Amino acid sequence: MEPSSIQEPFDLIRLSLSERVFVKLRGDRELTGILHAYDGHMNLIMSDVEETIMLVEGDQPGVAPTVNVAKRKLDMLFVRGDGVILVSPPSRT
Amino acid sequence: MDDESTPPPPPDEHAPPPPPPQTHTGSPTDFLKGVVGKRVIVRLTSGVDYCGVLQCLDGYMNIALEQTEEHVNGAITNRYGDAFIRGNNVLYISAAEAI
Repeated sequence: MEPSSIQEPFDLIRLSLSERVFVKLRGDRELTGILHAYDGHMNLIMSDVEETIMLVEGDQPGVAPTVNVAKRKLDMLFVRGDGVILVSPPSRT
Repeated sequence: MDDESTPPPPPDEHAPPPPPPQTHTGSPTDFLKGVVGKRVIVRLTSGVDYCGVLQCLDGYMNIALEQTEEHVNGAITNRYGDAFIRGNNVLYISAAEAI
């Protein structure tokens, strides 16, 4: 059941090729899309992507910050690896 | 003259200091080998914590976690069945159970 073929972290990414993945990026951005390719820098090629941008406003102390969420769709995307924080495959639970 | 007025402290007045508590020794690599398969807390430089079972990691400190919870300011903000964390974002890895 549990895939024991994971010997190194990149195996997790390899097993997610052609699957819809969640990617957390620097700058409060998130992506979901189909993963087509990656390399050792975690440069990614994704398609059918939805980008979610969290815009936090009012970060003065004592004031509840308001989070505005912007979304947009991108057909094909190259993601530079240094912006990647986290990649999560579709849940296999 | 007056130097003789203060006697030397009697020997064995104080017991020798207790030995330090037994701690794990070993290199950072030994620690990381020891926590594979265990629950860990990974803190990123952004302050976000990821609690999960450490599947494996590599020389860049890229990390694969399973059953992962994302904690921001103490509140769970996300759950992931599996998660790959790019090593450059890692601040520390803390063992969340006995090694």
